[in-house]
Amino acid sequence: MTTAKPRFGTLWVVLLAFALVGFGSFFFPAFIIRPFTHQSPRGLYWAMAVRQRAPIISLMCAIACLLLVMLLWQISDKWRKGALSAVMLLVTTAAVMSRLNYFEWMFHPVDAAQFEAESSSKLDAKEMILAVRYGDDARAYPISQMAYHHILNDVVGGVPIAVTY
Amino acid sequence: MNGRALHFYLAGINNQNFLMRDKETGTWWQQITGKAVYGPLKGTALDLVPYDELTFGEWKSEVSNGRVLAPVPKYVKEYDSNWEPEVAKLPVVISFPGTELKSRDVVLGLQLGDASRAYPWESLAKQSPVIDHVNGRPLLIAVGPDGKSFRAFVSQIDGKDAEFFLKGDEGTSSVTASSDPKVAPASANADPKKPGQPEAKPSPSAKPWTLLDTTTASEWNFQGCAISGASQGKCLERVPALKDYWFDWRNYHPDTTIYKR
Repeated sequence: MTTAKPRFGTLWVVLLAFALVGFGSFFFPAFIIRPFTHQSPRGLYWAMAVRQRAPIISLMCAIACLLLVMLLWQISDKWRKGALSAVMLLVTTAAVMSRLNYFEWMFHPVDAAQFEAESSSKLDAKEMILAVRYGDDARAYPISQMAYHHILNDVVGGVPIAVTY
Repeated sequence: MNGRALHFYLAGINNQNFLMRDKETGTWWQQITGKAVYGPLKGTALDLVPYDELTFGEWKSEVSNGRVLAPVPKYVKEYDSNWEPEVAKLPVVISFPGTELKSRDVVLGLQLGDASRAYPWESLAKQSPVIDHVNGRPLLIAVGPDGKSFRAFVSQIDGKDAEFFLKGDEGTSSVTASSDPKVAPASANADPKKPGQPEAKPSPSAKPWTLLDTTTASEWNFQGCAISGASQGKCLERVPALKDYWFDWRNYHPDTTIYKR
């Protein structure tokens, strides 16, 4: 058993390393790409690079952590079990958050755009709209709505467009 | 992109201009430029679709059987028609000290080839229609009869440079203050120190908004088409114009000039 101790110590170090990478893959891009702060070109590049890969990185790290926690669980006292649980919670949260788009919690997307005839719209004549027309297909996107949703995917006169504000 | 339809979702923010990703490839795109900034399609750019920024009233008068994006009932309480004063108060994260405009000044941005120019909205609203040259191209920039809608055109009729002025403004140059009653409040706002300044208002009765050109003496509507005179039936070539905050326009157009007059 005397030789086992350093081995388990190493396992703890590996566990924490995986936990750090797994959580960082979520946290680093979320921290860089946050509103009301300056984004430097380099910071943004790395944030996008990490965010692009975060779903797979955070999942692999969570699996690795789970295996290590299972190895360490039996030989850990209740304090260490608490720490192991906390680590698992952290990497699981990161793996889940990397698969969710919290920007769309703030600004919900339009899942299925509905249109109404201009004559039945209750929009005030003074309201601003974005207008797109292809042939006979003329559409108005009220800015009051677009300023909230920000993006709308649509097809106008057969042309796929993304309306943004 | 390359014949494949992409669907976009909000993915982040880059100095207050948003980033979107497409569901098909996961590529990151910058809103203002439509350029792919990271991911499999990096280096490509989306085509800008011809579009207008108009009041609903102006749009209704121009189209028939138009369709309007319906509010999503769940989110109606999130919509805010009066968002502009709120957003104007928000902090900015990039600024360009030493330029003549303030970060949240609203400009109309025009890009012609490599050259770009920002037109301060307050000046435009007062002076519309504005005749200008960018990159050797003669331009006509007009704020509509409602004082809010705007359009930009190449100021040429049959390839020849043309000048335009607002009908009813005869005797004044095309770049002096408009006498359109609906534009007057905007110009009053431009000088908040003199709230009691009398406004030069003609009769409040709605006169049709019409431009006259000095070359063919034809009448032109806000869509840029001649409705009477020798040019009747002709339409001016459109130029894309983006209404934006100065800091955002300047950030993506570092060589932009500012319209002054």
